[in-house]
Amino acid sequence: MRIVLVGFGNLGKGLSRAFIQKAGFLRKTHGLIPRVVAAVDEFGAAVDEKGLNLAGLLKTAEKRGTVAAYKGGKRGKLALKVIEDVEADVVYDLTPTNIKTGEPGLTHIKRAMLAGKHVITSNKGPLVVAFKELDSLARRCGIEFRYSASVGGAVPVIGLARKLLAGNEIREIRGVLNGTTNYLLTRMSTEGAPFEIVLREAQELGIAEKDPTLDIEGIDTACKITILANSILGVNAKLKDVKITGITRVRSEAIRLAREAGQVIKLVGVARQGLLEVGPKLIPVGHPLAVSGTLNAVTFELDLAREISITGFGAGPKETSSSLLGDLIDIHRTLGG
Amino acid sequence: MLVRIVMELEDVPGQLLKAFEPISRFGGNIQSIMHQRERKTPLGRVPVMLVFEIGDRARLNRILGALRARGVRVTQLGEREGAVRATALLIGHIIHTDLRDTIDRLNVLKGVMVSDLSLAMGDPGKESTARITIAADNEKRANLAISNLQRIADRKKLLMITSLEAR
Repeated sequence: MRIVLVGFGNLGKGLSRAFIQKAGFLRKTHGLIPRVVAAVDEFGAAVDEKGLNLAGLLKTAEKRGTVAAYKGGKRGKLALKVIEDVEADVVYDLTPTNIKTGEPGLTHIKRAMLAGKHVITSNKGPLVVAFKELDSLARRCGIEFRYSASVGGAVPVIGLARKLLAGNEIREIRGVLNGTTNYLLTRMSTEGAPFEIVLREAQELGIAEKDPTLDIEGIDTACKITILANSILGVNAKLKDVKITGITRVRSEAIRLAREAGQVIKLVGVARQGLLEVGPKLIPVGHPLAVSGTLNAVTFELDLAREISITGFGAGPKETSSSLLGDLIDIHRTLGG
Repeated sequence: MLVRIVMELEDVPGQLLKAFEPISRFGGNIQSIMHQRERKTPLGRVPVMLVFEIGDRARLNRILGALRARGVRVTQLGEREGAVRATALLIGHIIHTDLRDTIDRLNVLKGVMVSDLSLAMGDPGKESTARITIAADNEKRANLAISNLQRIADRKKLLMITSLEAR
């Protein structure tokens, strides 16, 4: 399969490493030979219709800061041109999330679909801003559209719900979907340290962003709840429909009082018909959602299976490449590969 | 939850022990026992009333199953007054927004009582945290109490953290 990578940050690099590492496995197990014919970042593009040398591309991007420095690469804003002009089967949009406009990912995805290319994205922005539009555009264009990595990182939340649990009516989805806030709450609990201190620690470790607003105010979790409501519950929901409370007022005393009652505090997103909500919740110790550190966890409430919970790593380039690669294999199979 | 059961035991030594074992095995905490010897049944069995606390319905069912398997006859089963408990945390200026008023507004509800309160004071000028446990006669009343408390919290600009299962 010929692949275009738009965005060559942590996720683009992680996926490229997975392509290198798993080339033999993909060929033998799935009959799949991924050939990356173009890689684009904000400074330029590298294109080779015979397939880029991924090890060389990674080295160049690390050393020179852009894929444009790759042999024959070009500088400039080239994403749309590459998406439209380079012959390819699948376009990965791995650009940074913008939850207000969805750009630049939104335009990338639309153009790729209109050009008849299948699309895989990890980008929450376009999904939060225009889920229905993209979903129907994909159908109209007759292409496959996958976005497993947008929620839960490595945890196969969407695939589990839409495929393996397809025989169930899904009544409610509850999830710990933000690794940063879960890390903060876990550290406050284990160390009894104040919020400001653990936040600074998390920033030093690179777990929290310099501007942690989207995480600690619950907005990132709300984006994921919006995507799950649209993709799993079939609700036409927007971010503004989610009632959001962050964790900035949660003091370490609150965590202590909770623990004395056998509970932990987690930032939980809830989606069911008529209710989309994000906020700190009390959860009994030992409950499937009472996960610690940067882990994510999701529980589905179902009519037949009753309850199913999964846990795993919600971020990280290697972990997320599990979902990005899974989507590619899924498209390959759907197309009869 | 607090559960009250009445069971009928044969009037021979060792029977009470036989009934207690499954309750403690599945994590029940016995709070009171009443032998009703004067109400002996025509078959010569003695009714015994037990009140115990147990985590959830599933454990209670296991206890009942184990009692049945041991030939203990349970004749009455019910949740006791204040049997349903709900816990919530409040964060904010709890004292200055009149904690007593907050509690009073819950206690006026029928079948609802604030049964426990723990308070962690913040530094001067900073927010405090309270853990409130509400005991209610049944789940419906507990939910009503929680939603009333939520309204009070909203009005007093307190952050309320409820249990995941609270509706």
